[in-house]
Amino acid sequence: MAKRLTLAAAALTFAAIGLAPVLTMVARTFYVDGEFSLTAYQALLAAGQQLTLLMGHSVVLSASVTMLAIVVGAPLGVLLGRTDLPWRGVFTMLLTLPLLVPPYVMAVAWFAVLGRLSTPATAQFLSSTFFGLYGCIGALFTAFMPVVMLLTIAYAGTVNPRLEQAGLLMARWPTVLRRVTLPLIAPAILFAAVLVFLLTLGEVGVPTFLRYPVYPVEILTQFAAFYDFSAATAAAIPMLLVTLLILALEIRMLHGPGLELSAATLVASNAPIRLGRWRLPLLGLVVAWTLVTVAAPLAALVIQSSSLSVVADALARASDSILRSVIFAMTGATLLTALGFFCGYLVHHRALPFWRSVDALALFLFTLPGAVIGIGLISLWNRPATNAIYATPAIIILGYLAQYAVLPMRMTAAILQQSPPSLERAAQLCGASWFMTLRYVVAPLAKRGLIAAWIIAYVFCLRDLGITMVVYPPGADTLPVRILTLMANGAPSLIAALCVILIVATLAPLGAAALWQRRAGLS
Amino acid sequence: MSMIEFRAVCKDYQGRRVIDTLSLTIEAKERVVLFGPSGCGKSTTLQLIAGFVTPDAGDILIDDEFVATAGKNLREPGRRGVGMVFQDLALWPHMTVAENIEFGLRAKKIAESERKRRVREMVDLVGLGDYLNAKPGELSGGQQQRVALVRTLAVAPRIVLMDEPLSTLDEALNVQLRQEILQLHGDLGFTLVYVTHSRDEATALGARILYFRHGQIDSTAS
Repeated sequence: MAKRLTLAAAALTFAAIGLAPVLTMVARTFYVDGEFSLTAYQALLAAGQQLTLLMGHSVVLSASVTMLAIVVGAPLGVLLGRTDLPWRGVFTMLLTLPLLVPPYVMAVAWFAVLGRLSTPATAQFLSSTFFGLYGCIGALFTAFMPVVMLLTIAYAGTVNPRLEQAGLLMARWPTVLRRVTLPLIAPAILFAAVLVFLLTLGEVGVPTFLRYPVYPVEILTQFAAFYDFSAATAAAIPMLLVTLLILALEIRMLHGPGLELSAATLVASNAPIRLGRWRLPLLGLVVAWTLVTVAAPLAALVIQSSSLSVVADALARASDSILRSVIFAMTGATLLTALGFFCGYLVHHRALPFWRSVDALALFLFTLPGAVIGIGLISLWNRPATNAIYATPAIIILGYLAQYAVLPMRMTAAILQQSPPSLERAAQLCGASWFMTLRYVVAPLAKRGLIAAWIIAYVFCLRDLGITMVVYPPGADTLPVRILTLMANGAPSLIAALCVILIVATLAPLGAAALWQRRAGLS
Repeated sequence: MSMIEFRAVCKDYQGRRVIDTLSLTIEAKERVVLFGPSGCGKSTTLQLIAGFVTPDAGDILIDDEFVATAGKNLREPGRRGVGMVFQDLALWPHMTVAENIEFGLRAKKIAESERKRRVREMVDLVGLGDYLNAKPGELSGGQQQRVALVRTLAVAPRIVLMDEPLSTLDEALNVQLRQEILQLHGDLGFTLVYVTHSRDEATALGARILYFRHGQIDSTAS
């Protein structure tokens, strides 16, 4: 009983945090001054032509980024996940780096690279191509390609080796990959494509920096520039519908007798594919790709900010934001890990009849643009009685809990999948209560995974822009928000220095975890 | 007085009937082996006794008390007086041998001094006194089996269920451990329900052998 009550409480808390703001936002679009009204939608329809154009931009951008991410990410995932290519772990980490920082950092980094090549041709390129659709595609592709790559690595390692071996008796590896492995992991790649599409669709930082008008930026503009909350709320509804529609299609396509998407881990169990004479050329290709898409932009960023005066200026201007970012991210990650653990346990054990709804809600909220969640949070909490939440950083933390719960939740489910159910059952038969079983059996066994979940949650909270930009109370902005604000009139070297500080703050817990793991391995 | 009683129990999995109107009675301190091919319902019967699975129809009684009825578990697994040695042994890999054995005693809120005494008594019973601080991964297959066995016995269950615990061992060790199980059963006097698909194990361990087929008892031998 304690188990069911606790899990139900966790699920209801999550629903209250995540779903209530969205529902309140939708409801409020139908009321003006306390009376039912469709004024907001009439205004939306009146601006229909402009909004359709913006939505068209968003869809073109998202589709382009998704297509490129699949074309590059899936082969890279197979190469890094299944072959005997040297230093696969190092390349995986390096190529994942852009996913860990706000996407606009990559745009700033690319700008730094192109700025260093200051010839008339690059100046022309900057003004005509980089600032606009193509720059957005490039920056967002670099930022989100790792989603496809990581999911391909995870699921390519779970394909039943017998199926591939049966194929290898009749054909060579390229054919087996094309005809057996890739079709088997196609649902995972499709899932990755949906994630990339929706993440790109909700992105505001890169289009703002590269001045490409897209739909979510319009929502922000209505809210932040014109202070028209009603228009912003109504404008958020089409984004909500598009996200729901795409997720519904994805769920419909994936919930067949296909693979269980929460079961994979990044530890491949299948034997590696021997590359033979292709090993060196492919190594060269991966090295070149890593250098061009990750190392060069980030190096340019570091070089641009490598002056003591610049770093001192950056710290003077943003030390409060840096501190706040880290504190908010640590608080968010800790609460997310706790909430995600219980919800992940519920999903893994299917302990309550509505487990699938909890999982679907978490995925929906993750893919919903941050600005939409932010507007929902304001709709719900902007009342005199709840000022203690609305006017304090608590509203930012609630936003993190709503949007990123799926990460620790899915990670917990994947971790629990690796422990045989008999370990818990043995404790049950000993007469242990559920909490005792959690404390002495489940949590210690899941410790490493939970630390990893905390780090991932921390990274996503730290890089958040969409929610924070909409909801942060006066004097409580975070570093990503401060950087974006300074982009309008700050010196490029200052922006670069702040981006480097953000990267360092992001990577610090990853480095600490790596050191801890190494020490634990040595002892 | 019967220790375990099934009254017309049925259990379906995904539309397939795994246990079909099963009625059986096991007396206190009896040694019963459930024997039969894979998928015949032996392990599901153990899961029903332990309370991990709920019957779709029928009643299950332990010590003349209803513990489960159609669609409902009336008593939780930890409160049925049942211990189980799992097929994969289910030793907690992060705990030492002593901690594995002590866990159930701690759950029953037994005083620490008594816990220590009981752990020592249990490891001595199977000759593992020197391995109290070893983790399961540091033990041989036979030693792990013994730890799993005494971990189950430490809390003095009235019923001990064993789900093919010796299936992965070589012949010599298998024969040796069968003797040890018989010895422990004789000394401690619990009711033993043992699942196997090995005819040798069944004849060595069963005072009564129930042949399972299609979720029902096909025949019985003593």
